[in-house]
Amino acid sequence: MAIDKTAGTAPGAMIGLSADGTEASAPKILAFCCNWCTYTGADLAGLNRMKYPANVRVVRVPCSGRVNPQFILRAFQKGADGVMVCGCHPGDCHYATGNYFTRRRFMLMRNLLEFNGIDPKRFHARWISGSEAAKFRDTIAEVAAQVSALGPNTRYREER
Amino acid sequence: MNKNEQQQKMRETAARLLDAGEAAYVIGFGETRFPEKTSILFAHNAEEADRFVWNDACVQSLAKYLLEDRFADYRVGIFARGCESRAINRMIKDNQFKRDHVHILGIPCEGVNAKRCASCAVHNPVVYDELLWDAVPEPNPETARFARAEAVEAMGPEERYAYWSDVYSRCIRCYACRQACPVCSCRECYVDMDRQGFQGKRHSVSDNQTFGVTRAFHVADRCIECGECERVCPMGLPILGQTQKIIKDITQLSGDYQAGMNAEDGNFLGAFDLDDKDDFM
Amino acid sequence: MSKIGVFVCHCGTNISSVVDVYKVAEAAAQMPGVSYAAEYKYMCSEPGQQMILDAIKEHGLNRIVIAACSPRMHETTFRKMLKKSKINEYLLEIANIREQDAWVHPPGEEATEKAIDLVRMAVAKVAKNEPLKSSLIPITKKALVVGGGIAGIQAALDIADAGHEVVLLEREPSIGGRMVMLDKTFPTLDCSACISTPKMVDVSAHPNIKLLTYAEVAAVKGYIGNFTVTIRQKAKYVNQDICTGCGICEDKCPKKVTSEFNKGLSDRPAIYKLFPQAVPAKPVIDRETCLMLQNGKCGICAKVCPVEGCIDYEAKDVEYDEDFGAVILATGYKLVDWGGMYDEYGAGRYPDVIDGLTFERLVNASGPTEGHIQRPSDGKEPKTVVIVKCVGSRDPKKGKPYCSRACCMYAAKHAHQILDKIHGARVFIFYIDVRTPGKNYEEFYDQTRKDGAVYVRGRVSRIYSDGEGLVCQGEDTLLNKQVRVKADLVVLETAMEPNEGAGELTGLFGASRDVNGWIQEAHPKLRPVETQVGGVFLAGACQGPKDIPDTVAQASAAAAKVIGLLNQDEMETSPMIAAIDESKCSGCGACEPICPYRAITLETIRSREGRFTNAERVIAKVNAGLCQGCGACTVACRTGAIDLLGFRNAQILTEVDALWQ
Repeated sequence: MAIDKTAGTAPGAMIGLSADGTEASAPKILAFCCNWCTYTGADLAGLNRMKYPANVRVVRVPCSGRVNPQFILRAFQKGADGVMVCGCHPGDCHYATGNYFTRRRFMLMRNLLEFNGIDPKRFHARWISGSEAAKFRDTIAEVAAQVSALGPNTRYREER
Repeated sequence: MNKNEQQQKMRETAARLLDAGEAAYVIGFGETRFPEKTSILFAHNAEEADRFVWNDACVQSLAKYLLEDRFADYRVGIFARGCESRAINRMIKDNQFKRDHVHILGIPCEGVNAKRCASCAVHNPVVYDELLWDAVPEPNPETARFARAEAVEAMGPEERYAYWSDVYSRCIRCYACRQACPVCSCRECYVDMDRQGFQGKRHSVSDNQTFGVTRAFHVADRCIECGECERVCPMGLPILGQTQKIIKDITQLSGDYQAGMNAEDGNFLGAFDLDDKDDFM
Repeated sequence: MSKIGVFVCHCGTNISSVVDVYKVAEAAAQMPGVSYAAEYKYMCSEPGQQMILDAIKEHGLNRIVIAACSPRMHETTFRKMLKKSKINEYLLEIANIREQDAWVHPPGEEATEKAIDLVRMAVAKVAKNEPLKSSLIPITKKALVVGGGIAGIQAALDIADAGHEVVLLEREPSIGGRMVMLDKTFPTLDCSACISTPKMVDVSAHPNIKLLTYAEVAAVKGYIGNFTVTIRQKAKYVNQDICTGCGICEDKCPKKVTSEFNKGLSDRPAIYKLFPQAVPAKPVIDRETCLMLQNGKCGICAKVCPVEGCIDYEAKDVEYDEDFGAVILATGYKLVDWGGMYDEYGAGRYPDVIDGLTFERLVNASGPTEGHIQRPSDGKEPKTVVIVKCVGSRDPKKGKPYCSRACCMYAAKHAHQILDKIHGARVFIFYIDVRTPGKNYEEFYDQTRKDGAVYVRGRVSRIYSDGEGLVCQGEDTLLNKQVRVKADLVVLETAMEPNEGAGELTGLFGASRDVNGWIQEAHPKLRPVETQVGGVFLAGACQGPKDIPDTVAQASAAAAKVIGLLNQDEMETSPMIAAIDESKCSGCGACEPICPYRAITLETIRSREGRFTNAERVIAKVNAGLCQGCGACTVACRTGAIDLLGFRNAQILTEVDALWQ
């Protein structure tokens, strides 16, 4: 299978290659995106035909405030190598204040994960607005690069 | 007043309360066959109240027993130290019962023979109907309130993961921690739901670990730091560290934070500040 | 048993040139619960939709997944399509394989693999979808406008003209607000009273408007279309039905108090109209200062009143409920109390240092000086006047961080009026910037400078008395020099701030305010006249400093929103809202403070709890009319008793799980 080495703009764009240049199983990143900002920004990246690593899967939620920290644990258990929670910038929330609660919850959750030995590079909370298609692209590339560098996640992974 | 005199005062006060019919029963500590252990005693009359004991073996928190009769139309009496009083505030705040459902007999306490007392920051009851003896000095705020969390924080990431993996490899998922926790007042705990829901039911380290983190997050800003979770753990797992970590972070963000100091203040996660930091993002 | 149909769209070649749509359809056919999968050139086209509808019939499908463009594009299209079938329109999921796959990845296996994953997630989710029904809520066809300034007046008139009933509520004894206090309005210099008093009269004469003055909102219940507002009518002590408004009582009243309307430049009696052209044109008794009401001695107004029984000292405040479908908040602004902020300006010690609104009364033809500019201390005509702008505005340390927007223009107007009325007068205007964005504003400012106003760029650091008169000291930042100006009169153009009580009122309606206390609009650009609370709108300076043209424009905009709402008999609510499983809810209330719409309330119910047959317990309730479906509450609920329909915990978890099945 061909891997387009020109895809993406950030260093992490070239993922899926192990040291000997053969294909390793590409890390999978799960991104919870709010419908009004980040999901729209992701759509805009598409409209602009921006390229970013193909290993991200987006779960659409109405608001980043809808994202339960337990979803993150579940994703790691099932096999996610990286997890993202993305919503509107503070002050821009479609529901006025939803993302302010997101901020507190994931500040605690991120630290708690780190406290439990989960590398903080595997979990990212980001504000990406509906117009920030480039930021969406760059963030995915950056997270993909970080997660690739770490290799597959085994922590919290369910034995299958 | 020494502990014997205090014990006498407790018996007398409980007897008076029960004689006057102000409470259907009083929750306190009773004797067992073993001198180093006490049981929970529910005294319904003056005679039974005379069996209350008060010594260094009184390590259990009495507060959670209040939930048993939370729907009753009679009042219940309870002895409350700092830890129990905060638990009671917590339950009132969580609408489990109303303040006038309980008659709180405040008993200032400088610690018993329990591990949790080492990090106790509140010796005197913060809510009570009567105080049985004079308040005792509160501990120096510099006491190691977050010692457990700090010890883990000091480890490297690999070590931390190994530490918790080891802890949770020993977890038998008996849920005693949940059972004892005064802020676990859900009608049905998420771990008990028959369909899979949030919590995997396998007895695996992965499911144990996610249970541990989730339990900490469910308690999070409500935790009154009483350490009952840890005391009741049959495997002796140091799980108070998880909630300590959360409270430490809250304290770092918004200044001193102690749940259950009154029954009015809102939860940390139920509010926000426009200027909350997002440098973690 | 779910029989899921999966339909993979080529989108011409938009998707199919990158993603192997045939392979996606083949893979979909193997997924659990899927009984039919197909691909087609354009699913959104009419033949595409017909194909789906035919497949539903032919294969007895009961849930649908469409792999195509973003759900933000065609989710509604396909929901509408499903209305033509037996399938509930919410048993649909869209896998976004265009914007978030084909358009962002190069052709090849990876893109196809991703598409299959996205379809698998959608299939897993749709299997857990529930049929949802939007409900219709009735709408009370009556609007409440709170605040009788020019914003409230304009909004009330627009709504009433469209044929809907309006209650205009004002807490002062007369409507008119700030605008009637002004003399002339920039940039046209038309007389403020001349253009606002006819509108006030229109309000009082309009058959669709009920005017309530001297009244307040005491409590609010309900939600969009169905508000119940408790109105407190303060006792006026003058029977408004029989009073002729002759004014004898006002002439004879022995008690004199400082006139708020004239900013302390004159007195008024205790029984009074706010100003001569007040609407309604009948007096009220100010119970705080009336001798009769305070200590039972006087009663002169009752004696001189020619109408028997008109004055009633026994009158009481009355509270009553009224139903409304929509509300406009138009509570306006007040000027900051600069005295408390700026000790260096004398903090009120010098009578000849006044604020802009006081100057308006001073220069107003119907004001206490009949329009002659006389300084308050000795009544002399000032020759040199200093105008200081941005007093309290753009001053995060001492005052407000924001610009009060209208001051640059009315400072220019004040300068113009002084130069126009006082022969040989000199005017110095201290400024930080001159901001004139508005039609004909720059031209007006230009003219003022040509008239002779001297603009000095800098803040005044100190105002003091040198024994003979006032001295304003400040830096001229263009000359880089300290300057001192001897002034006969100083006019401080002070910052606007939210009106007294606006915060409590906003809270009663559940709307929120920004850091400066102004009412928060639902979206700063796209929903500027709505609050976050459905059915509660805003107009004018209660949202932020504004001049009259902007206020009126916003009032008409808010009115249009209200008219749009009231034109409907009932409104459809989204069914994707929070729902509570009462059997699980422990009533801990963690969800309640998180709701931005105050849709969650805690209620006490009775139920059987073990051996307690009639136990009282608290549970949370969701008001379907208020909930907007953000789902932030669900995370606060540890037991999952509160869940979001359409995005249930189980649905999101199954999407996560599906990715690794």
